[in-house]
Amino acid sequence: MQKLTGLERMLKTIKLQEPDIVPHFDGIDKRVRDAIMRDTNASYEDFIEFLDIDGIVIIDRVYTWSYENLGISKSGRQVKRCQWGATIQFTAEETGIPVEPAIKSEKDLDSYVPPDPNLPWRYEWLKQLVKRFKGQRAIIVGCTDVFDVAKENLLGDTQYYKAMVKNPDFIDRANEIALNYQLQYVKNCIDIGADIIFVNGDWAMTEGPMVSREFIKRFVAPPFQKIVEYAHSRGVPCLKHTDGNIWPIYDVIIDAGADGIHPIDPMAGMDIGEAKAKFGDKVCLLGNVSCAFSLVSGTTEEVRQETKEVIRKAGKGGGLICMSSNSIHSGVKPENYLAMVETIHEYGTYPLEEHFNNLVEAGSGIW
Amino acid sequence: MFDVTNLNEISNAIIEGEGDVALDLTKKAIDADIPANEILDKGVIPGLQKVGDLFGKGEYFLPELIVSGEAATNALELLEPILSKGGAPSRGKFAIGTVEGDVHSIGKNIVIMMLKGNGWDVTDLGVDVSPEEFCLAVENGDFQIIGLSSLLTMTMPNSAKTIESLKAAGLRDKVKVMVGGAPVTQEWADKIGADAYAKDGPAAVKVAAALLGKS
Repeated sequence: MQKLTGLERMLKTIKLQEPDIVPHFDGIDKRVRDAIMRDTNASYEDFIEFLDIDGIVIIDRVYTWSYENLGISKSGRQVKRCQWGATIQFTAEETGIPVEPAIKSEKDLDSYVPPDPNLPWRYEWLKQLVKRFKGQRAIIVGCTDVFDVAKENLLGDTQYYKAMVKNPDFIDRANEIALNYQLQYVKNCIDIGADIIFVNGDWAMTEGPMVSREFIKRFVAPPFQKIVEYAHSRGVPCLKHTDGNIWPIYDVIIDAGADGIHPIDPMAGMDIGEAKAKFGDKVCLLGNVSCAFSLVSGTTEEVRQETKEVIRKAGKGGGLICMSSNSIHSGVKPENYLAMVETIHEYGTYPLEEHFNNLVEAGSGIW
Repeated sequence: MFDVTNLNEISNAIIEGEGDVALDLTKKAIDADIPANEILDKGVIPGLQKVGDLFGKGEYFLPELIVSGEAATNALELLEPILSKGGAPSRGKFAIGTVEGDVHSIGKNIVIMMLKGNGWDVTDLGVDVSPEEFCLAVENGDFQIIGLSSLLTMTMPNSAKTIESLKAAGLRDKVKVMVGGAPVTQEWADKIGADAYAKDGPAAVKVAAALLGKS
């Protein structure tokens, strides 16, 4: 097969067609990138080209949201107010964790002023990526799930969960604020040249969904579906990230229109071969080399074996983007990430039968 | 007139997450001179146990757990002053915190609600608790169990560090260590030398009782 560009490889895979090589991208912490490049001045884009990665992802919370410094926590960590009004404490990672929500009661919503998605600075890096990579590598725009914005940043998880039971209108109002912003943000990104939308936000935990299937369908899936429908109306695919055990709700994600599901969380007991058999003929699978174990504390050989196993289980016929089980965070050993990428390039070439026996079929499971 | 046979109404209010009803019924039970420990044992605890069962069976999720936990907390706020005045023994003393580097509190708070509702004396050490702070709490308090919560894969190693710090400070044998949190597994608990792992709030109640031989 003729060698595809990274963008072609990604799009073909998302359409469940067989590309030339299993594609790869990931969110990669700067410390890992710098260690591999041995150059702290190298840009993210330089790194992407250096390893010939098929796509680059902009995490909206990190690169497009504004933050106001509030000070330092007792343990010396940065505390900031995010653009939604929540207090965020930062950890060793690039994304912080909301510790106090913007909205303390439903009355606060009456006077709430949402952030402006149209501020030009939010799109400066995207414009640079479009200039450098358009048509060659996939420009993937992260979009924090409306469920996450409303639950974590606007209402806070406890207030949000209580309102699900006691005050559904409160959730609807918060969801609408987050959705209006995200729809405009996605529109602006697609106008500029985004190739893929990647909606980030967990719907499940290790044991199972955070909320009942009924609440997922009532509160969580509809705003996600609106994002998907808009992206599709512009011809742009939409991927969904959620950690956790999604066996009880994967069909809801698919019914909402997702083109791919990430990361088929191995920590939650999700087997990517089983996912391939059950719904690999409906959506693209993204994952799932463990960034909790093998990429962090395994040997390079263990990472190679696990990466090969992911390709063997989920690569047949296309429909697999091989990547970590969440992100290449600061705890990932740089040599292990390199081992994963090298293994994908070596063992991900189609036809996979040349490398593997017993490839898992898509759609052979019970739907 | 509220009589002791109606304590299951308190249980039902907790199961249904009706905080105001739980509060009102608890007030009535106290006014009817029903001993606080009886209200706890026959009203609050059975309600929370049922909530735990429903959660375990996948019929309740985080929202239901939270509203039920708050209903139990409402009842407990009325009962605790009476129980402590009467010198009623708790099921045990438990300190819990989210480990260093992690500021998630929801899992920890659910565990606290469930333990308190089941008669445990619980001290909340907060979030982003350093190994030194855990050691200080163990040294100065007479806790039987400490709970280490982590919701991030990246902060799980800080549970191990806390256990190592307890060992280094000669405090490890003074207390049982329970770990939990979204990415934590029994395998991880075994690996770092914790005494027990609890996958969620309702499980924490059972595991804590088993750790002290009270199950």
